[in-house]
Amino acid sequence: MSKLISVHLLSIFTLFIGCSGVDIGSVGRVVQKTFEASRPLSDEEEYYVGRSVAARILSSYSLSENKKLTDYVNSVGKAVALNSDKPITYGGYHFAVLNSKEINAFACPGGTIFVTKGMINAVESEDELAAVLAHEVAHVNNRDGVSAIQKARLTEVATLIGTEAAQRYTPAQLSQLVTVFEGSIDDVFKTLVVNGYGKSQEYNADEDAISYLTRAGYDPYALKDFLDRLASDGKASGGGIMKTHPATADRIERVQKNLPKKRADASLVQLRDKRFEKALK
Amino acid sequence: MKISVIALFILIAASNPGRAETVTVITKQNAIRTSCKFFSPVKATVRYNDTLEVISKEGDWFQVAFKGVKGCIHKSAVQKKSLSLSKLTGSQGKSASGDEVALAGKGFNPQVESAYKNKNPELNFNAVNRVENYGVSDSELVQFIQKGKLNLP
Repeated sequence: MSKLISVHLLSIFTLFIGCSGVDIGSVGRVVQKTFEASRPLSDEEEYYVGRSVAARILSSYSLSENKKLTDYVNSVGKAVALNSDKPITYGGYHFAVLNSKEINAFACPGGTIFVTKGMINAVESEDELAAVLAHEVAHVNNRDGVSAIQKARLTEVATLIGTEAAQRYTPAQLSQLVTVFEGSIDDVFKTLVVNGYGKSQEYNADEDAISYLTRAGYDPYALKDFLDRLASDGKASGGGIMKTHPATADRIERVQKNLPKKRADASLVQLRDKRFEKALK
Repeated sequence: MKISVIALFILIAASNPGRAETVTVITKQNAIRTSCKFFSPVKATVRYNDTLEVISKEGDWFQVAFKGVKGCIHKSAVQKKSLSLSKLTGSQGKSASGDEVALAGKGFNPQVESAYKNKNPELNFNAVNRVENYGVSDSELVQFIQKGKLNLP
């Protein structure tokens, strides 16, 4: 019995030593391999995926050159992001306006968020704009973009990078990694732009957006107001964001359940509306 | 036997000195601030993979020391360097927190992006770089939040 205890303790001891980075040969490598086989993308890798997804989006859409509007959207977005569950990302949050009439917004992995001019024209207040951006920030927080990457690709990356310390790849390794990277970008891009996230991801993003808005001091009812108007204006079944999101009526019903009892002070919402109108001029 | 078990525990403890007391920066760049609040004055700048000594934890912030500078850094900017036994055995149901640290710079990195860019010259990385320069300064954002009667985080 005492021998058995000693063996168990020795195993635990071996595990501890393995983790501290001391080279104990095959045991350490097996432990490391186990981690890699199931490793998620690191924040740094997510950032590089996000940059390439953004580059693809920006190959189809042009950036607005309106600095006043871009600065304003960045201020609103950052005020929300700082109150999210992940206020800091590897490369930070950046918000940009796309020259497009469609009502849409995209959250690239890592924190670059695009909102179309059509969307900015569709919202009627700073609080509604904050609600749209909060929904996108929630997708970044929840890593919904990179979750679209097929698991087999991540396993392939884990196998390719192995356990070596070197961070530069041989031409053969690089070629294989680029192929996997390309596939990963396709997965994320298709989800963001063509197919949309899963319903549960969208509902969660709405729920999280309400929390961020409340913490930031924006009116969380602004999200419902915006969705209500989309539904009543008959835009709820159109293209853009409506093509890639669950039915607006379902979203409204769920949002309603998660809202706090009281709306934010209307006078404060009106105060912010003045600068909203100014930024849009 | 009793003595050898005690000795083994001592050895285990000694093999992990201060394990829970360091964190590694997982953002490109970040700030060590005077107090544990966003917008508090910046005392030092830290970069990806810098190791910081943890002094204490204050809500969502760590009080840390780095190259003789003491201050605060938000928890989302750092990751614990050590691997806990519970994570090793998978009892928390998540991947090991040290994973990212152990594999820093590997996988999808600038070398991969560069090769991807060369293969797909039609992609607009110049515009992405422009977007990454968009932003507002701390002081502008504080002013924006205060003027809009919003909450300072």
